[in-house]
Amino acid sequence: MPNAILDPTGSVTSKAAATAAPRAHRPASLKGARVGLLINTKQNARPFLDEVGRLLEEKYDVTLTKRTKVNYAVPEPEAVIKELVADNDVIITGVGDCGSCSAAAAADGVVLESAGVPVAAIITDSFIPTADAMAALRGAPGYKYATTAHPVAVLTEDKVKERAAQVLDDVVALLTDPQTAGDA
Amino acid sequence: MTADVTEGAAADDGVPAAPEAPDPDEAQRAIEYCYDQGWSDGLPLVPVSKPLLEAFLATTDKDPDEIIGSLEQVGRDVTVRTAAINAGMAGCKPEYFPVVLAAFDALMRERAARGGGFQSTSGPAPLVVVNGPIRKELGFNTAGGAFGPGFRPNMTIPRAIGLMVRNALGIHPHVLEQATQGVPGRWNICIAENEEESPWEPFAENGGVPGGVSAVSATLTRTMEFVDNRHTPNPEDVLRDFQDTIGRIGSLIFPQTSVALVLCPEHAQMFAAAGLSKADVQNWLIERCGRTGREFTSMGKANVARPGFNGEYEGDEAFHRILSSPRQIPVIVAGAKNAAISMVVRIFGEWSGTAVPVGEKK
Repeated sequence: MPNAILDPTGSVTSKAAATAAPRAHRPASLKGARVGLLINTKQNARPFLDEVGRLLEEKYDVTLTKRTKVNYAVPEPEAVIKELVADNDVIITGVGDCGSCSAAAAADGVVLESAGVPVAAIITDSFIPTADAMAALRGAPGYKYATTAHPVAVLTEDKVKERAAQVLDDVVALLTDPQTAGDA
Repeated sequence: MTADVTEGAAADDGVPAAPEAPDPDEAQRAIEYCYDQGWSDGLPLVPVSKPLLEAFLATTDKDPDEIIGSLEQVGRDVTVRTAAINAGMAGCKPEYFPVVLAAFDALMRERAARGGGFQSTSGPAPLVVVNGPIRKELGFNTAGGAFGPGFRPNMTIPRAIGLMVRNALGIHPHVLEQATQGVPGRWNICIAENEEESPWEPFAENGGVPGGVSAVSATLTRTMEFVDNRHTPNPEDVLRDFQDTIGRIGSLIFPQTSVALVLCPEHAQMFAAAGLSKADVQNWLIERCGRTGREFTSMGKANVARPGFNGEYEGDEAFHRILSSPRQIPVIVAGAKNAAISMVVRIFGEWSGTAVPVGEKK
């Protein structure tokens, strides 16, 4: 019997995906909801999310809280996740427009969903494979997020607002479930 | 035996190897098997078997299950065993393994590598620097062609890191690895400092390991550019040449930058002969590398520069430095003493410069 060829991948299943990550329960509507904006500090991420927030205030009378990611390249630390969960009914994060920050946006989304908060992560369409791969690693294959055309960083102020308006319906659809019984 | 294919009957089939040479058909099947598993970086891998793994593990006191690096965001670890398999596949000899471990340790101490470096659109390459007696013991190239091919330890040790990133950490191109263009020779950059012809202390000494002790330092680099200046007897002229190359604007993505100067022995010796220490070279450049506000603006870098200068620089004539401490401009001596050609290496993020001693088997 010849010697076997050894596998160099080590632990092929990620510790991050010890169990399948559940998706949070959705409210029927965003009416009056506490909406957290988790801004990843990438160029134009702040005006983009600010505009999404402003439109939600206008349409749904939401209350906004804003915070910036500790490090755009990696998922948020546990303590921050706890605070985000305590302070918000739903969270919007982005803009994932690079290799590490698109993956981190997806990872933050999956972690927050597991903690019971619906998330709309916004990434640019160049990073669909990396967001999908990260979500799968985190135990949420097929995790849904919103996309906008790449690039965002070079857009003028007006164009950023246009993009925010364009993605709004997708964000609302991601954060709500019309089947949910409620007063909406 | 010299293969002469210009005459004789052997020309059609090539010259057969000696009868005791290994079975090439089996070797080819094993190589193809490794490709089929998705383990390769594109080049053939050495198939690793248990006896080879054991030879690697015998070079270290570390437990095969010890975790030597983790990428928290993907939840994957690298153990000593996995590192050994990847090092074997990369073409390392077992005796290189302590250097592989030190190199990976040094790299994973850097925030840029633990963060998003391996996933980055920048596609940065590890730059591994080796110091001490291990350079000669293992046959590293310490002379001409410092960045180039031709020497097994220099080529295979950084490749081992690349395979660990791919296989153990699961960062695959086009998936979690999102390099826009990446760096040529991304997993092949390992220089052994030319300590013999350097006029200064070994690089590892700047990183906390005394001279004469084998040690490895590592960072990520985005690219490098040569400075070819072999026509002046004036060290300040050469420094100004570096100043101009370091001050290039295209690579500036933040108000501050970081570069490693990989000096050829001729440049290093010229500076030393003029009485300059490494610190003198660093400080000369720290004071002078930068641009005026007007230049930043005219070159399209207003938005990059503005946050660092509190928004008050636009159109101004004040000079803004892009380096502020020696840590942002480490100096290494490498290559042959045959021409005055040095390299400016662009660091991805920051480099702590920490040197990690090569572990000795007790």
